Amino acid sequence: MSERANLDTGASWTHPLYATLEKLPGVSLGLASVDDLLAWGLTNSLWVFPMATSCCGIELMAAAASRIDLDRMGTIVRGTPRQCDVMVVAGTITVKMAPRVLKLWEQMPEPKWCIAMGSCAISGDFYRNLYSVIPGIDTVIPVDVYIPGCPPNPEALMHGLLRLQEKVHARRRGEKVDRDPNPDLIRVTQPAIPRVCERDLGRNDELSKLQADQAGRVTEEQMCPAVDVPFEPPPPATPVFAPDFEGLLRELGVAVAADGPPLVPVERHFEFARRLKELGYRQLVSIVATHWLAGTGRAGKEEGASEHLEVAYVLRTVGPGSRLATWAVRVAPDQPIPSLVPLYAGADWQEREQFDLVGARFAGHPDLRRLMMAENYPGHPLRRDFPIDAHCAPWR
Amino acid sequence: MNVVLTAVVTCVAILTGILTATAWLIWFERKFSGRMQSRLGPTMVGPSGLAQPVADLVKLLQKEDVVPEAADRALFDLAPKLAALCALGAAAVVPFSATVVGAKIDLGVLFLLAIGAVTVMPVFMAGWASNNKFALLGGMRALAQSISYEVPLVLSAMVPVILAGSMDVSKIVEAQTRDGWYLIDPVWLGLPAFGLFLLAMLAESNRIPFDIPEAESELVAGVTTEYGGMKFALFYLGEYVHTLVASAVASALFLGGWDGPFAPGLHWMVAKTVGLFVFVYWMRWSLLRFRSDQLMRICWYWLVPLAVALLLGAGAWVVL
Amino acid sequence: MLQTLSVERRVDPHLSIDKYDPEAELLLLHMGPQHPATHGVFRMDLYLDGEIVVKAVPYVGYLHRAVEKLCEKLTYSQITPIVDKNDYVAPMTNEQAVNMAFEKLLAIEVPRRARWIRMIFAELQRIASHLLWLGTFTMDLGGALGGGTTVFMHSFREREMIMDLFEEVSGCRFHYNTHTIGGNRHDLPAGWAGRVKEALAVIEARISEYEGMSLENRIFVKRTKGVGVIEPGLALELGLTGPMLRACGIDHDLRRDAPFHAYDEVAPRVIVAEGGDCLARARVRLGELKESVRFVRETIDSIPEGSINGGRPIKLPNSIKIPPGQTYVGIETPRGELGTYLIADGSANPYRLKIRPPSLHALSALPYVLPGGTVSDALAILGSVDPIMGEADR
Ligand code: SF4
Repeated sequence: MSERANLDTGASWTHPLYATLEKLPGVSLGLASVDDLLAWGLTNSLWVFPMATSCCGIELMAAAASRIDLDRMGTIVRGTPRQCDVMVVAGTITVKMAPRVLKLWEQMPEPKWCIAMGSCAISGDFYRNLYSVIPGIDTVIPVDVYIPGCPPNPEALMHGLLRLQEKVHARRRGEKVDRDPNPDLIRVTQPAIPRVCERDLGRNDELSKLQADQAGRVTEEQMCPAVDVPFEPPPPATPVFAPDFEGLLRELGVAVAADGPPLVPVERHFEFARRLKELGYRQLVSIVATHWLAGTGRAGKEEGASEHLEVAYVLRTVGPGSRLATWAVRVAPDQPIPSLVPLYAGADWQEREQFDLVGARFAGHPDLRRLMMAENYPGHPLRRDFPIDAHCAPWR
Repeated sequence: MNVVLTAVVTCVAILTGILTATAWLIWFERKFSGRMQSRLGPTMVGPSGLAQPVADLVKLLQKEDVVPEAADRALFDLAPKLAALCALGAAAVVPFSATVVGAKIDLGVLFLLAIGAVTVMPVFMAGWASNNKFALLGGMRALAQSISYEVPLVLSAMVPVILAGSMDVSKIVEAQTRDGWYLIDPVWLGLPAFGLFLLAMLAESNRIPFDIPEAESELVAGVTTEYGGMKFALFYLGEYVHTLVASAVASALFLGGWDGPFAPGLHWMVAKTVGLFVFVYWMRWSLLRFRSDQLMRICWYWLVPLAVALLLGAGAWVVL
Repeated sequence: MLQTLSVERRVDPHLSIDKYDPEAELLLLHMGPQHPATHGVFRMDLYLDGEIVVKAVPYVGYLHRAVEKLCEKLTYSQITPIVDKNDYVAPMTNEQAVNMAFEKLLAIEVPRRARWIRMIFAELQRIASHLLWLGTFTMDLGGALGGGTTVFMHSFREREMIMDLFEEVSGCRFHYNTHTIGGNRHDLPAGWAGRVKEALAVIEARISEYEGMSLENRIFVKRTKGVGVIEPGLALELGLTGPMLRACGIDHDLRRDAPFHAYDEVAPRVIVAEGGDCLARARVRLGELKESVRFVRETIDSIPEGSINGGRPIKLPNSIKIPPGQTYVGIETPRGELGTYLIADGSANPYRLKIRPPSLHALSALPYVLPGGTVSDALAILGSVDPIMGEADR
């Protein structure tokens, strides 16, 4: 990321009309007030582009909702970057997502600002050293305001936006802004109905009674219909299916293992799954591939074990008395395993995920592409020999 | 000389009136929708947030003018201007009182309908010129929707024309002053025609539940996806002015225009227009959106036959 | 219905697009990863013939935060706050799922009071999550500037009340970190039960409003009925769980069928709807919302006394070592079965921790149901799936 020319977005861009005006003699006298007017307009209608990728995005939504209501300060959320002034990066930005963020940022017309909301957007949070997360959005685009927190309260977001207003004004006057929170602004952001935990502090007693009042006014008819099922222990489970998993194991001659699911030979694996499906295990729950380095195995250290993968399958019967069936297949790292897609449509994505992350191969899978990482990603991150802090160029 | 001067003054007055009214109505809508959603709406910019539209305008004026590289530049530039122009142009023949009217032309209703039909052009133009798939889909939807809803709109507007025996909007209002508002006289004809006109008007101005061309959650921002700054402001303005003028037309055609006791005519007209406008926004903030094929079905299966029946009914009423 | 084994796969998601009518001019529409209606960062490539979706190719992984890799390097007690961030709409369920897996391998008995508190938390999280779903789903149907937003604002107003309650317990609005191995970290504050009932009374009185705005709204029904139908057999094969499965008419709920927490003592009703379309999913979720409110109201007073963290006192949480072994624990969250497959090797960190995300399975149904509908339908279906990308991608 070499071209960070517009790091100082607030000051560097001026409207061409404005630039012409500035050159006219005599106009500069009036410009001070015009300038104030322009800055007032800019700051009082900050339209937000929600770069809401994860948890912080929910707090961004909550900030736009009724309790905090960003519309109070003229801030609305628009879906297209062309009409927005502030990009609020709320959430973790992954390697796969970062180029998209950059693109969207470039699509926003000047003057524009960026707010990094939450520790993920600021620094990557505890994901910062991992292979798929970039260490903060400021490695991609310039950030004007940082809002710490995991997640920051909606109030904090509003405070951040108000601080951005301050910053824009100060920049125009050539002043510096300090980094500390502004107590006056914090007061503005407080919602009318204080939160429960603040009520005891007696911040606003009148309003704190509001919710209690509301609850008191609820009438019987408004409540959900009275209980017609008494609360008692559910009836003893009468399974829809009573499949005999152990019986099948015995029949196929698979030994029950004490330290994990029974190991099924890879040649009989598909047959085994088919039999289970016929028995009533109709729901595919999960496929878990694990990588074991040479010398390790289920019991921790295993002398003489070669490097191998173990792929565990979890199936379930549905209905009362639901039962689980778990078994595993042990293969060499690039030995293919028969795919279960013909039996279970859900195996499609599961196998793709395990292929992507652990590198298990599945023979007969119709479309074995990576699921999580980008197509051209080298290596399989969940292998044990994959370093946890493998760098993710070009972001660091 | 005098005639020209009067015309110019009236035009300027109406234009300013409409534009200011639009600005405050935008504020009002934000407040109103806020109340509907149990929040406050703008409060911090000016007293009660009254200066909010001004701030928005000042901001939008300062934004960089981005034209996508692959866009068709001429069309891209033209579309928002045309959109605002069409919306404002329709205001020319709306009589705001017996005297305040931009242009008294005999075929006022025809002019209105023609302009209304043209308004879809800039929308499609924008959708096409943006070279953006969301915008293109929005434009296509807008075109399909407008063409369909044009039919019930025209047919239902014909009902008061037939009843009054004139195409001049002022004459229609005068006729209503004489024989009573067409909404209630005759009620079996006027009320459905008014409802139909209102629905078609909602569809024409792309308002929920007929806002599929814009469809914020589906098509990002529909045809305006690539527009920012002043160009977007023009679209935005055009949309609101369109709704406002359409409300004015509806009140002139069905609600007796400036007719009303006690207060001067202009007040009545404004009150009726604003009332309808608020109704439109009430709808907007409480309804969900139809799907495009459902919209077409509603139009061709229900609205068009109803409109034809009303037209025949109006003919029969006048003849008998 | 469940007896037939072979499921007819109506749509082949791997169909090559070249096989489609060569005369047709297809439009490839990339939706996402940043799109107002994709609930975070999810991408679908839709091949459109006019407005009809011919083929849909979903892409996930835009929020792949490598949680499973991270967990391999953390001690067992450090994992709880990390997995919180997976399903960020109902974070507590994540904590419960992993901690229950640890407890199972450690063979720790969780005290009865702690189990009850966990159950109440889980149900309150379900209320909060379904409220959020209601808001975002109607917003998908009604536009960011329309009636949908009104529902969204209203449901968020109620959600805030639940957030308040949790903030009182743990000090956070979400990402609570309130469960530990063997119990809970925080006991309930004094008078909490009363405030829960207060908030629930308000919510309960407003549920009928929501139903009026959604299930009883003609436009809502028109937009959702018969849209995005998933056949029960396919739903099972895909591993759909929770409301997605129950909307297909399959009566399966882990709270009743494989009880955890205190669900073996009291159990909520299981809401099932027929049809497998968006409307059925909405019915199930709104029904569960109602049921959870009722359930908490009725059970909150019977939380037993006792210690909240027991089995054996854990003095040095960072030195917990789990003996070698493998286990799978699945619990019912608002989105379905959230599972943890834990492989321990006797050290202080898990050897492998795989989280089974219900959202990922739910999203994998999209290529089967989207073709044949319009773009609007596609977004309605996506909204009805209620995916949380943090959990799907991890
Ligand atoms: S900072 Fe915390 S809440 Fe925000 S996205 Fe990151 S993990 Fe989620």
